[in-house]
Amino acid sequence: MNLLLRYIGEVTSGAWSLAAGMAVTLRYMFKPVTTVQYPRARLPLPEAFRGPVELRRLPETGDHGCVACGECARTCPSGVIKVQGLKARASDFNRARFYFIDFSRCSLCGLCVEVCPVQALMFSREYEQNGGSPQVGVADLLARIREARP
Amino acid sequence: MTPATPEPALRKTLTEETFFLNLGPQHPSTHGVLRLLLRLDGERIVTCQPVLGYSHRGHEHMAQNRTYLQFMPNPPRMDYLAGLMYNHAYCLAVERACGLEVPPRAIHIRLICAELNRISSHLLWFGAYLMDLGAFTPFLYAFDDREDILAILGEATGSRLTYSYCRFGGVARDINQAFIDGVRAFIPKMRARLKDYDTLVTKNIIFVNRTKGVGVISRERAKAHALTGPCLRASGTAFDIRKAEPYGFYPQFDFDIPVLTGGDCFDRYMIRLLEIEQSLRIVEQALNRLPAGPVKAEGVPQFITPPSGQYHFSYETARGHLGIFLVSDGSRVPYRMKWRVPSLSNLSILPVLLPGTLVADTIAILGSIDVVMPEIDR
Amino acid sequence: MMQAAWNSLNAFFGPVALTLMVGLLLALGWVQVNALFLVWLERKVAGHIQLRIGPKEVGPFGLLQTVVDGVKLLAKELITPSAVSWPLFVLSPVLVFAPVLVAFVVIPFGEEFQIRDLNVGVMLVFAFGGLGVLAILMGGWASNNKYALLGAIRSVAQNVAYEIPLLLSAMAVVLMAGSLSFQKIVEAQAGVWFVFYQPVAALLYLVGATAETNRAPFDIPEAESELVAGFHTEYSGMRFALFFLAEYSNMFIVASVATALFFGGWRGPFLPGPWWFLLKVYLLIFGVIWVRWTFPRLRFDQLMNFSWKYLIPIGVANLVVTAVVLKFTR
Repeated sequence: MNLLLRYIGEVTSGAWSLAAGMAVTLRYMFKPVTTVQYPRARLPLPEAFRGPVELRRLPETGDHGCVACGECARTCPSGVIKVQGLKARASDFNRARFYFIDFSRCSLCGLCVEVCPVQALMFSREYEQNGGSPQVGVADLLARIREARP
Repeated sequence: MTPATPEPALRKTLTEETFFLNLGPQHPSTHGVLRLLLRLDGERIVTCQPVLGYSHRGHEHMAQNRTYLQFMPNPPRMDYLAGLMYNHAYCLAVERACGLEVPPRAIHIRLICAELNRISSHLLWFGAYLMDLGAFTPFLYAFDDREDILAILGEATGSRLTYSYCRFGGVARDINQAFIDGVRAFIPKMRARLKDYDTLVTKNIIFVNRTKGVGVISRERAKAHALTGPCLRASGTAFDIRKAEPYGFYPQFDFDIPVLTGGDCFDRYMIRLLEIEQSLRIVEQALNRLPAGPVKAEGVPQFITPPSGQYHFSYETARGHLGIFLVSDGSRVPYRMKWRVPSLSNLSILPVLLPGTLVADTIAILGSIDVVMPEIDR
Repeated sequence: MMQAAWNSLNAFFGPVALTLMVGLLLALGWVQVNALFLVWLERKVAGHIQLRIGPKEVGPFGLLQTVVDGVKLLAKELITPSAVSWPLFVLSPVLVFAPVLVAFVVIPFGEEFQIRDLNVGVMLVFAFGGLGVLAILMGGWASNNKYALLGAIRSVAQNVAYEIPLLLSAMAVVLMAGSLSFQKIVEAQAGVWFVFYQPVAALLYLVGATAETNRAPFDIPEAESELVAGFHTEYSGMRFALFFLAEYSNMFIVASVATALFFGGWRGPFLPGPWWFLLKVYLLIFGVIWVRWTFPRLRFDQLMNFSWKYLIPIGVANLVVTAVVLKFTR
């Protein structure tokens, strides 16, 4: 008799736990969905978002402020930055003439942005890059800033 | 000469009654690239042999070839589920070696982020474990919660998975109001969700039957295999680096180390849910007493150079005891950096635990141990 | 014109064969449409349970999504791995479909809406339902894949164990109705549905039916986290789609049988019979989908224990009590 009672108790408590679980899923079924339908809607990017690096455009000159010191190239853990500068006159500041980043090997750690002594670099807010070959990732940052100039 | 893989040797041991099953490295529930060589008698496992190394990337060797700062993006890529903790641990290790002082605000921010990261790692584990057991829905509920954490951490770090947030002497950037509001809204939501998980999963008779008494690790065996983290604490040993060798401001916070004595899959599951609650407590306290001030120490040299010598630092990640052994020769580049990762020793119990269980139990046990393969393979 | 064609066909085949043929053709069409709808329903319900919205891009509310998926599967190459035993491998997806079609013959959609009312209708459904497992065994064995083999072995053991409670619960109803014909059983429920007389049998039937159709939480043969895809690991393209189709059609069959046995069949106020029948069937199927997206999977030995230790004793007790009560009340 005791055994039978325990058997019945086992069955009912088990069935009850299953019913309680089903109540939870039913409740969730009528909750609003939490997903965002990506290509049609987008989430706002966080303020700190770390996109691919690009050169900052200075408002006073409308051009970049890179002095081609090469600190970013030396710090980059993956060694994907190539920067070369040129002086117009001997007394001038150095100016970047070439600035290439291979984003296909970049890990977006942001060390280059941090070490820049003149804050010439910043994170872009792009996140939809793709490409069919490794070469697609190589970006000419000077050309990009020239294109973006109004 | 030993064969490169133990497979041929294992094949020789096959008899008429047994057959050989190669579980992984592409199996849906080996969590990454673990490969298990199983000898089966019907559905019952006779022997089990894990094969590692499918995602070896040589992180320790990379450490010997770059400066301390340059190695910063690497640690999160070892354990991608608790990246911020690895980042935190690495920074703490180097700071200890150099004797750097960190401002209190930065320490608080680091602790908040690390605990949030622990919650997100446990949530992902929770979802993936339930998926291994065949329940798909809790996985998406857990991801809904985890998404909140990722958004919060994204607000502070700018990244969602491989945060390189901590810096020597502080953190990369200060937190903003959106971060604080996000955390404040998240804590009650998560607590309400934990109740739902309780009804949906913990009390579910099918789940209890699948996990209770399965894969029991005794207290002694857990110690013998150097298990750490939730696996150890589920076997009845109250060992947590946060209490044993505290770092940060952990001693000032009021939190418990949950301990269960069953040592089975159910207890390993339960202990993680309890840890989520404790982490929420820590986050709440840290947020309430967040001091003002700088988030980065002044005058940290760009090329940080620990004095020559040997250093060891222990850290409690979501999976257990992370040890960083650092040998410095006084140069800008580490001489040697050895990472003692928790998943490797936790996985070492598998060949002892599996024989005699069923294939379905294999998945339940493997899932309950919570291994992250890239951390093992490094 | 139509009448003339019908008459000449009638004269050639005879009325019985003709209704069977037309009925089977209709059933064949219905199976496809129904499966497409059910897959959509499953994905939509699963989506909303999981705080997502499910398919929505193709067609209104994503209704055409499964059609597109079907077209994709049709267009895919049929891969036959080199190590399979190919006659069985090819035959298995076809065979898995046969019991479904046969069962459609006796399903009472309405008073007039039935291909043929056999006086052994219930037996026919269960007898042919047992064939499905043969197809799974063939597919799993012929695949020459360890996961598939394990899945097939599990499937056979499971089906053997769960057909017993299924039959026991159906027998209780048959005892009450005094007939094996579906129409007679539905007629016997004119006053009160059998689910109120036989709640235990109804529950047993639903549990057994879920297991019989390999649905979660009893989807042991295709447990994807253990056996990759179970018995159909090696199947791709349309052959996989046939297994898929059969699963959903089987769901429809067992839900229809449940409706006829326990929920008053096509009976209901206002609406014509077939509408009531379909409504009840889809409500039951919704329940099955709901269960799938709530529970974890049982372990294989627990599954067998559950049947032999709980379902079968309860089923036998229920049957005995029913028989005794009927003996003394009639």
